[in-house]
Amino acid sequence: MSIINYIVDNWGTLGPQVVTHIEIVAMSMAAAALSGLILGVFAARSERFSTLILGVTSTLLTVPSFALFGLLSIWVGLGNPPVIVGLVLYALLPVVRNTATGIRAVDPAVTEAACGVGMSPIQVLARVEMPLAAPAILGGLRQATVMVVAIATVGATVGADDLGQPILEALGRSSGTLVQVLAGVIPVALIGLTADLILAGVQRALSRGAARGAVG
Amino acid sequence: MITFDRVSKRYGRVTAVGELSLGIASGEIVVLAGPSGCGKTTSLTMINRLVEPSSGTISIDGRDTAGMDVNALRRSIGYVIQQVGLFPHQTVAENIATVPRLAGWNRRRIAARVEELLEMVGLPPVEYGRRLPAELSGGERQRVGVARALGADPDILLMDEPFGAIDPVVRVRLQNELLRLQKVLHKTIVFVTHDIDEAVRIGDRVALLSQGGVLEQYARPVELLAHPASPFVAQFLGEGRMVRRLALLRVRDAHLAEPNGSGLPAETVGADASLRDALDAVLRAESGRVTVRDADTVLGVIDSESIREASR
Repeated sequence: MSIINYIVDNWGTLGPQVVTHIEIVAMSMAAAALSGLILGVFAARSERFSTLILGVTSTLLTVPSFALFGLLSIWVGLGNPPVIVGLVLYALLPVVRNTATGIRAVDPAVTEAACGVGMSPIQVLARVEMPLAAPAILGGLRQATVMVVAIATVGATVGADDLGQPILEALGRSSGTLVQVLAGVIPVALIGLTADLILAGVQRALSRGAARGAVG
Repeated sequence: MITFDRVSKRYGRVTAVGELSLGIASGEIVVLAGPSGCGKTTSLTMINRLVEPSSGTISIDGRDTAGMDVNALRRSIGYVIQQVGLFPHQTVAENIATVPRLAGWNRRRIAARVEELLEMVGLPPVEYGRRLPAELSGGERQRVGVARALGADPDILLMDEPFGAIDPVVRVRLQNELLRLQKVLHKTIVFVTHDIDEAVRIGDRVALLSQGGVLEQYARPVELLAHPASPFVAQFLGEGRMVRRLALLRVRDAHLAEPNGSGLPAETVGADASLRDALDAVLRAESGRVTVRDADTVLGVIDSESIREASR
């Protein structure tokens, strides 16, 4: 059980890296969720905007993270900021796409009834469309979160002091060992799994009566 | 009173409704009927402005609806559609509470209203209040739809083929329930259907529309069946008009004969039965004559001749 021993022995360094990793993920996901929801609502309303935003966000996903963080560091400096900005850009696609799909999947009769009883467009969105699209939206957030937790490790290349650091150090040294790599990888996997489980719970709680087929 | 004054709706070069003028009296059920494409749903949804007229005015009790706040207007008008459109993420009680909640009623008043409405549409509140729409049958869903529309006790109820997707047996039951409710509520109901039998059964008046929203005839069902104003109306009404019309007339209103010397026929029919039922009894009776009773009182005797007379 040398991995566990290693992690325990090096907790002084690894502990703060775990915290930083979670902070980076939380901040990027908060920003991505907020902006992705707004963009997703507009994408649901306009076919043209939908094509545009999905094109842009999927193109962003094809940029290698290594390159994207590097490019961003030119404008926002080294450390955590370029990583957070980059992760927001990556996370947008699943959030925007699932929000738009979820809203569009709402039965037109339901929205007609909502308008018919005198709900304003904002009320229709907040009281009917969003709750019904919630499972799909949560599905997008789950995908994005798991992806972001993993990609955040690459942030170590631009100086983010997260769980990418132990991996990067081990890979960069001739004396680096598998144990050192795993010391970064295992906590990352645990964070990813935990976040996914929590969001899955939220998703289930919000799925009351909503179209379960729309869960992505 | 809802008044259509030369109301038109055009989509590009297509006229859905052309210069429709129509007065809908308060407390009446007016059915907009006609084949698909006749603009009946468009006309209906122009009342709550889900569709805005291209020209002309619709006024409610003399006030032009175009000048009203659209959401306030809709909250003051109940709206029931064929697909019901219940909010699937909300319980039956929450669905029914929609308009009272939008109107800002307090919790206790809403709860009391929801209970009252569930009772009214024949769904025991304890059993149904907490169910989700997915747990209801088609007929139950439409009852909840009607209860939701009645939420804040609107004077006007718009119903767009509300029973169109429901099987014939339950449909007749819901039609009868609507008529029973209307006796108590006295709403102004505008009801759209393509089913002429439903139109004449439900309507105090029927407005028959043809392609492009042209008003062919606006009359009481008995009048419509007896005197179709155009070949279109006659064709839409279909076969057996006079026989079907008998279903709308009551034995009580017919001129009954005095019982003659040969005594009362053994066969009887109630005074509130329809002339159609009376005709059926007459055809079955050996003597061709049937005794009309109102509870224990004998009102007279009816035969084929008096039915014929009453139907003219």
